[in-house]
Amino acid sequence: MSDKPKTAASQGLASCHLCLKLVSVDVHVCPRCGSAIHLRKSNSLERTLAFLVTASILYIPANLLPIMITDQLGQPTESTIIGGVVLLIDMGSMPIAAVIFFASVMIPVSKLAMMYYLCWSVRHGPPETARQRTVFYRITEFIGKWSMIDVFVVAILVALVNLNNLLVIRPGTATVAFAGVVIASILAAESFDPRLMWDQQEDNNE
Amino acid sequence: MDQTDVGKVSRLAERLACHSCDLVFDISVLDDGESASCTRCGEFLTRYRADELERVIAYSSAALILLGLACSYPFMSFKSSGLESTMTLPQTALNLWHYGLPGEALLVGAFIVLIPGLVMLLMLMLAIALVLEKHYRWLRPVGRLLFTLQSWCMVDVYFVGVLVSLVKIGHMATVIMGLSFWAYAVFSLLFVLAISVLDRVQCWHRIEVLSRP
Repeated sequence: MSDKPKTAASQGLASCHLCLKLVSVDVHVCPRCGSAIHLRKSNSLERTLAFLVTASILYIPANLLPIMITDQLGQPTESTIIGGVVLLIDMGSMPIAAVIFFASVMIPVSKLAMMYYLCWSVRHGPPETARQRTVFYRITEFIGKWSMIDVFVVAILVALVNLNNLLVIRPGTATVAFAGVVIASILAAESFDPRLMWDQQEDNNE
Repeated sequence: MDQTDVGKVSRLAERLACHSCDLVFDISVLDDGESASCTRCGEFLTRYRADELERVIAYSSAALILLGLACSYPFMSFKSSGLESTMTLPQTALNLWHYGLPGEALLVGAFIVLIPGLVMLLMLMLAIALVLEKHYRWLRPVGRLLFTLQSWCMVDVYFVGVLVSLVKIGHMATVIMGLSFWAYAVFSLLFVLAISVLDRVQCWHRIEVLSRP
């Protein structure tokens, strides 16, 4: 290409967050789909941080409260997320223990840590790593919903294992907190605007 | 609109800014089957497929039928010591309600059945209207709702959850998969295909062309 590609913002253009139409920054409503137009997601960092803090706080009860209760012959046993993983390791199901550990411990924790880092990096990160950070953001965004696996597994076991007095599985209150963690972190990823990381680079070039 | 105009749908598509890094690209040069990615950050931009809408109609209509099947037959049965319990797909959510977690029951039901079903229905409506080249006033709101709801579908996550639960309790008792299990397995495959075939930019472009007086 003969002419170097330029950013939309530098040409006075904004793109619709929903249908991606390019319009002048003076336009407030997208002429194509009718959504509100913003040059960048509004209050991106503040909203992302608010959702991140919510998710981090909910993560505490999600781990301390029981995620499921097993009634075996009328004898209730409560288990937490970590407890479930330890139990699986004791039973010798290493692969499943690894899947659960990844989905309910590694992914939420590393996703939250990564989002905190990305927020921080908008102002303080080295501009030359913008591409790398964009890839991190995309991975974080993609894996977000996979943390719901744990909540779904409990919901399935609760629906499936119901043998009157012999064996019954009941959902624990931690599932609510855990679903909250997942939803808050999906909202955090959606509120974050990766273009902010590139804007910093643009500013430096000028 | 005549035949030559249909071929020009991609030609008319103007410029597009990468939604990850804001660089502007000209996407009017794409031929059938070609896709564009951002040269600076690598983000996927758009793909032009001449038969995109036909594929969307095929996948989404088949997906809706399979979701109907998945909701009406037993999903899995659990057998131990001569006792048996059977679950259906809606019970995944409904049983949480019974145990006093109505909010979570709603969320689970919405993520695995209600929103995915609605997304498939909206996609089918939209694709049929665009294939017939008929302009309806609901095209824009339906498109907005469709692309907003897309990030709240967890069909594939649920299916992996089913597999994880199978391994978790497989050694405790005999688990029998019902018709609904297989229907939901195929539904999740068709759902993922339908979502990946419908290109946001091309779809909105077609809506825009139709809305022109």
